Amino acid sequence: MIYVLYTIVAIICIYTARHYWFTLNRLFGFQRHPYIDIDTADWPPVTILVAAHNEEKVVANILSALMNVKYPVDKMLVVPVNDRSTDRTREIIDGFVEKFPGRIRPFHRTSGKGGKAAALKDAMELVETEVILIFDADYIPGAGLIRQLTAPFFDPEVGGVMGRVVPMNVGANLLTRLLDLERAGGYQVDQQARMNLRLVPQHGGTVAGVRRSALREIGGWNDNSLTEDTDLTYRLLLYGWKTVYQNRSECYEEVPETWQVRRKQIMRWAKGHNQALVTYGLHLTFGKHKATLRERIDGALLLGVYIMAPVTLVGWVLALAVFYKGIAPLHGIIALFSITAYAAIGNLAAFFEIAAAVKLDGNRKRICLLPFLVLGFTVSIFSVSHAAFAQLKDAITGAEFHWDKTERFRKVES
Amino acid sequence: MSSYWAVAWLFLATGTLFFLPLVPAMWEFYRKTDASALSVIQQHSGDVRYFADSFRTYLKGLDPTLQQCSTSGRPTMGTMPDGTDYLVLGSGDQAYQLPLGEKGQHCPMLIAAASDLLLPSDAKFSKDIYSRGRFLGGSNNSYRAILADQAAHLGENSSVTRWIHAVGEFSAAEGCKLYGRVSSENVIRLEGGCQFTRLNAPTIEIGDRPPANLPASAVSPGRSAWDLTTRILHEGDFEIRAGDTFQGSMVVRGKLHIGAGARVFGNVKSEKDAVLDSGARVEGSLISAKRLLIGRDCRIHGPVIAEREVIVASGTCLGTPESLTTVSAPQIKVEEGVIVFGTLWAREHGEVVTRS
Repeated sequence: MIYVLYTIVAIICIYTARHYWFTLNRLFGFQRHPYIDIDTADWPPVTILVAAHNEEKVVANILSALMNVKYPVDKMLVVPVNDRSTDRTREIIDGFVEKFPGRIRPFHRTSGKGGKAAALKDAMELVETEVILIFDADYIPGAGLIRQLTAPFFDPEVGGVMGRVVPMNVGANLLTRLLDLERAGGYQVDQQARMNLRLVPQHGGTVAGVRRSALREIGGWNDNSLTEDTDLTYRLLLYGWKTVYQNRSECYEEVPETWQVRRKQIMRWAKGHNQALVTYGLHLTFGKHKATLRERIDGALLLGVYIMAPVTLVGWVLALAVFYKGIAPLHGIIALFSITAYAAIGNLAAFFEIAAAVKLDGNRKRICLLPFLVLGFTVSIFSVSHAAFAQLKDAITGAEFHWDKTERFRKVES
Repeated sequence: MSSYWAVAWLFLATGTLFFLPLVPAMWEFYRKTDASALSVIQQHSGDVRYFADSFRTYLKGLDPTLQQCSTSGRPTMGTMPDGTDYLVLGSGDQAYQLPLGEKGQHCPMLIAAASDLLLPSDAKFSKDIYSRGRFLGGSNNSYRAILADQAAHLGENSSVTRWIHAVGEFSAAEGCKLYGRVSSENVIRLEGGCQFTRLNAPTIEIGDRPPANLPASAVSPGRSAWDLTTRILHEGDFEIRAGDTFQGSMVVRGKLHIGAGARVFGNVKSEKDAVLDSGARVEGSLISAKRLLIGRDCRIHGPVIAEREVIVASGTCLGTPESLTTVSAPQIKVEEGVIVFGTLWAREHGEVVTRS
C-alpha cells in the first residue's frame, strides 16, 4: 500500500515540477511570439467555421463581429455550421446571409451524428481553402484576430493554431471569477510556456485554426472523439505538424455561470482527454513517429492531466489508510506526515501558476480570490474522477456517450 | 485549563488560521474591485498608423487656428483642452525665429505648421509635431512624434522616440535612431547607420542604391504558394544545390542551405539557421527558428521570419510591389541596397549596415 502511495506522490511531484518550470519560464524565460508581427502580407483565402447548435442567444454577436474584422473581404468566407438547431439559430443565420451576400455560406445540418466533430466533418464539403479557422458561436473575435490566427500558417511546419480565450462574463458570480483565474493560468502561463519551450501547446477547438492539407493527412475530423481539439492536437503531433499558441490573439468567450453546467463541461473534457490518453498515450510515448523527445514527454504529461484527479483521490484514501494502519514508511513518521499532507493537499503549484498569470495580465485585486480556488478544484477533482469512473463503466457495459451542449447565459438581443 | 477549553482553543486557533486567507478573498468577492473582463481591444487591429490617426483626431480642434495662421502667415500660441501648450506656425521657416535655435534648446510645446515646417538643428522636441506640408528637420535633433501630410526628412543623427508618419516620402539621413513606429503611405528611405524597430510603407529602400531589377511575380499566373500543398519534412540538415529548383513546401529540422541561383516554389522553414546564397529565390515564405542569412541579390516573395536574427545582403528584394510582405525578427541587420515592400519589424534592434 505504501509503495502505491509513494508512486502517486512521485507522479504528483512530476506535475508539480512541470507547473513550476512553466511558471518560471513564463516569468523569466525567452517568450516566443514569432508570427504576431506579420501585419503585412499577401493574405491567403480562409474559411471560418462557426460551430452552432441551438445558439440563438449568441450567434448574431459572432457573425456581426466577423463581418467587421480587418481581413480582405474577397479572401474570407464565413461558414456557420448550424448543427441540428431547433431554436431560431437558422433564422438568424439566414438573416445575415441575406444582409451580407457572398460573405456567408451557411451549412444547415438537420440530421446525422451528434457532436461538434461530426458537424465540422460534414461541413468540410464547403471548405475550399488551405486555412480553416474555427470558432464556437459564443465567442466574439476582435478586428485583428483573423489575421493573427492566419499568420502562423505561413510557416509550413504549422498545422494548427490556437489563440487565447478570455472570459467576458467575469463578474457574474463566484464561479465565473474562479473560471477567469483558471483560464488565465491555463493560457497566459501554461500554453505560452509550452509554446516558449517548444513543447505541445494544445489546440482548443475554438479561436483556433487548422491547415486543410494537414487535416487531410491525419485523416480529417475524428467524429468518434469526445473532444475533437485534443484529438486533433495529438494526431497533428504524431504526423510532424506543430500546433502553435498565440497568446496575444485574444478572444472573448462566455464561461458557465452555474456549477451544474460547469460540472457537465469539465466532465466532457475529462472524458475526451482520457479517451485521447488511451488512444494515443502509448504510441506517443514509445512509438515511431515524428514528434521530438521533449514533445513526447510533455505530450504524455498533458494527456495525463485529467486522470490525475482520480489518482489524487486514491492518494488521499491511501494516505489515510497508511496513517490509521500505522504502516511505517521508509524514513519514519515525518516522512509519513509529509507524504500524507502532500497527497491530501495535492499539487499547489497550480496556484502559483495562476497567481503568476494574474500578475502577467496586470490585474491586482483578483489575486485575492486565490484561496477560493480550493473550492473550484474540489468540485473539479470530484467531477473529473466521476467522469473517469463513469467512462470506465461505459467501456465495460458498452454504453454510448451522450454529447451535452454547454448552456449559454447571454440575453437574446431583441 | 480544562480539556474542554483546550479543545475549544484548538478549534478556534485552527479555524482562525484556516479563515485568515479567506478574509481578503471575501472582501474582494463582495467589493468586486477587480471583476471586469481582461481588456481586449476589440477594434484594435495592430495598425501601424494607430498613433498617427489618433493624433490627427486630437488635432481636429486646431483646424481653425491652422487656417487662421495660414492666412495671416503669423504664429500663434495657446493651450489645448488637455492643458498641452501648442505653437501654430503660419509659414515654414518661422521655427527659426523662435527660441529653438540655440544649441541643445528644449521645446516643450506641441508644434503644428499650416504649411511646410523647417526645424533647426541640435534641438529637442518633447511634444508631438504636425506639418501640413513637408517636414524638414535639422541634424542632431530629438523628437517624440511627427505627423507630416507630405514628405518628411530627418537630418543626420536625429532620433524619434515614439512614432513618425508621413503621407509622402519619409527619409532619414545617416545615423538616425528610429525607436518607435515609422510609416509612410509612399516610400521610406534610410541611409547607412540608421537604427529602427518598425517600418511600414509600400516601399522601403535601404541605402541610396536600391536593387536594379525589381522582382516580377514569379509563381506561375493564377497559382500561389498556398496552392502547393505538398510538404517535405526532413530530419537533419538539407541543401538545395546551386541552380536547382524545388517545388512544394519544405520543413527542415536542421540547417538549411539554398545554393546560389536556386529557386523554391513554396514555403520554407528551418529549425536551425538558414543560409541563402546569392541570387536564390523563394516564391513563398522563409522562416527560421534561429537565424536567417540572406545573401546578395536574393528574391523572397512571402514573409521572412526568424526567431533570432535576420541578416540581409545588398541587392536583395523582399516582397513585391504587388504583394507586400513582412520581415520580422528580434534582431535585423540590413545592408544598403536592399528593398523591402511592406513591413520591416525588428522587435529589439534593427540596423542599416554599410555594404561589405
